[in-house]
Amino acid sequence: MSRVLAVLLPRSPGGWILWGLAFLALVLVGVRFAHGLGAVTNLSDAYPWGFWIAVDVLIGIALASGGFVMAGVVHLFGRERYHPLVRPAILTALLGYLLFIAALAVDLGRPWHIWRALISWNHHSPMFEVAWCVMLYTTVLILEFAPAVLERLGLGRALAWWREGAPWVVVAMLTLFSYAMTLSPVWAGLTFGLLVLWEGLMRAGVMPRDRQMPILLILAGVTLSTLHQSSLGTLFLAVDRLADPWQTPILPVLFFLSAVMVAPAVVILEATFGARAMGRRPEQPLLMGLAGAMPYLLGVYLAVRLGDVVVRGVVFPLLEPSVLSGWWWLEILLLISAWVLFSLPELRWRRNGLVLPAFLTVLGLVTHRLGVALVGISVPGAPAYVPAWSEIAITAGLLAAGLLAFRILAEVLPVYGEEPESQAREARAGGDGAGRLPAAGVDGGRRRALAAESASG
Amino acid sequence: MHESGNGISRRRFLGVGSKVALGAVAGTGGLALPVLGAVRSEPAGGTNGHLAILFDSTLCVGCRACEMACNDANQLGRSVEEIFAGREAEDFHALAPDVFTYITPHMDPTGSRAVAFGKAQCMHCLEPACATVCPVGALEKTPEGPVIWHGELCLGCRYCQMACPFHVPRFEWHSRNPRIRKCEMCPSRRAEGEKPACVSICPTGALKFGTREDLLAEAHRRIQENPRGYVHRVYGEKEAGGTGFLVLAAQPFRHLGYPEGLPQTSAAQAVRPAMAAVPVVLNGLILALGASAWVVHRRASKAEGENDGKEESHV
Repeated sequence: MSRVLAVLLPRSPGGWILWGLAFLALVLVGVRFAHGLGAVTNLSDAYPWGFWIAVDVLIGIALASGGFVMAGVVHLFGRERYHPLVRPAILTALLGYLLFIAALAVDLGRPWHIWRALISWNHHSPMFEVAWCVMLYTTVLILEFAPAVLERLGLGRALAWWREGAPWVVVAMLTLFSYAMTLSPVWAGLTFGLLVLWEGLMRAGVMPRDRQMPILLILAGVTLSTLHQSSLGTLFLAVDRLADPWQTPILPVLFFLSAVMVAPAVVILEATFGARAMGRRPEQPLLMGLAGAMPYLLGVYLAVRLGDVVVRGVVFPLLEPSVLSGWWWLEILLLISAWVLFSLPELRWRRNGLVLPAFLTVLGLVTHRLGVALVGISVPGAPAYVPAWSEIAITAGLLAAGLLAFRILAEVLPVYGEEPESQAREARAGGDGAGRLPAAGVDGGRRRALAAESASG
Repeated sequence: MHESGNGISRRRFLGVGSKVALGAVAGTGGLALPVLGAVRSEPAGGTNGHLAILFDSTLCVGCRACEMACNDANQLGRSVEEIFAGREAEDFHALAPDVFTYITPHMDPTGSRAVAFGKAQCMHCLEPACATVCPVGALEKTPEGPVIWHGELCLGCRYCQMACPFHVPRFEWHSRNPRIRKCEMCPSRRAEGEKPACVSICPTGALKFGTREDLLAEAHRRIQENPRGYVHRVYGEKEAGGTGFLVLAAQPFRHLGYPEGLPQTSAAQAVRPAMAAVPVVLNGLILALGASAWVVHRRASKAEGENDGKEESHV
């Protein structure tokens, strides 16, 4: 009991602030449910979506992309050496999605009807796709994170059930999803057939399995995330009051590309600061490897983003000074600076050299999402929307609750603890050197190299 | 509105039934490669006989009897004084949870007297943005034409408000159980064979109720018979893919508060390509990612076979 309390109680001023923010948000949410959304927000009929949709939904979900990108990179594209980064990324994504659902329950006018999305289908609606992706991907994240909990509790048999059962849960979920999105037995049948084909091949021993995770689970996570990230862009295709620099038929593609782009940046920041907070060393060689992908990811997004405004012929308005063009350029300049900093090896190798460009990347994405949901939306003739302090306070409180939950779970569960001995050895051996491990160790690839390094140290 | 009323409609009941049947059909599709065209593209046809309202602004004298009749028929609870109070609010922005329609006066150049009136209300689009984007089908384009709201389904996500090109749906911001509010063309009156309240009461014949085809023909006939008295266009014939509320005017429609420059396509058309891509992306990714995992793990297991016995760090 006292151990539980020790984990829960704040131990630093930062902890007290987080608990305080979370409590304030709880009070404000109470007011919201007692007196309606109008009591705590500045939302209006002209601006029915505001700060919460921009920050909690668009930005929150994009920043949770680390979970599916890392899981996919490691388990589907064979970059096994990044395995130590997967579990924290999945936990971040899971907490991100749970927070997002909590935020949605506050933002929806009638959240007690949310289950209606399960039985009342409108597959023409991007919001329907969003709702299903949220439900299904959250389930997938829970299943992906389950081993950490089961290991901690020492439930070996449950772990075996999980290994056996998870693929079939995926088959059922994706088949139903495929049918819900098309009402076509043919599409649903194709989805069912493909999934059963892969699982069957693995059970027959033709196709190798993954040692840690059922492949179908990771596959479902990547697929649902791809659709979810892009569907948040699709939402705005139906919003004709969105200004030209943001409104484009390829909005879903831009949302997906930028979510993938921001994933390594978030993992870098999270690993760096997470490690610092937990008194560990960050997995610097792995983060360097991730950073190596950043110039390409940033380059692709920037090329598509810039190509889009050229093709649509809206370049010239962007050259005239205005709030809209300024905001557009802010996004582009943030991402270009991140691209430059990530591309200069001498900067990358500096201590904390990854933090700044990763931060700029996140800011670039934030600028884009705010552009889509707030800055780019205007309704002529209606009073402008400025978020109320209470809207911001509720989001801040939810975020605080998320950080507290992450810290508590990371302490209680084996999130980082996958290779405790080698970590400890590395830390002892490391000194300053660990931040600057020779590139050969990284590029040589697999965990063996890393293990050898830490052993020799 | 439909807050309690009709329970589960037939369409929805069938929807649930078809989901039960899913298990049976899911397997049968097998690996047959569906063509993209198999994705359902929506209604297109079937607008014949849709009920609609024609508003001839040249006949409107701005008496606001329609507003009062609407207020009574829908039990909106506003007093006559409130209805006749200040008219500063403009056009569609003047709609409110308790204001389903609103008559907007438009002044002559000297600003001394009103020379024309507009009527703001739900346009009852042929392919309504609100009904297209509503995740649970709480907003429904009924087969008769009017667009209605089903409170028992609504999540309160307000996507309908974001998507409506005419800024019509209203949300009860200060309610614990907020509703989406807008004109539904008086469903209970229509059920009794009566016209919508506003049409019934209109003393000058500025409002006319009928099928959209008839009203469009009528509107074009009026323009033809009196070409100098009208702008040669029916507002709502093409706007946002066509609407069930049609307007005739003697001056530019935007002077009467109707948004000009709307696309002639509906919101449904804007999101359709992206939504049609969903099953392609879904199945394509299942195929591609599975194949990638196969190749990658085969390579890995071969490599491991070569240096067997190496310690593995595992889940």
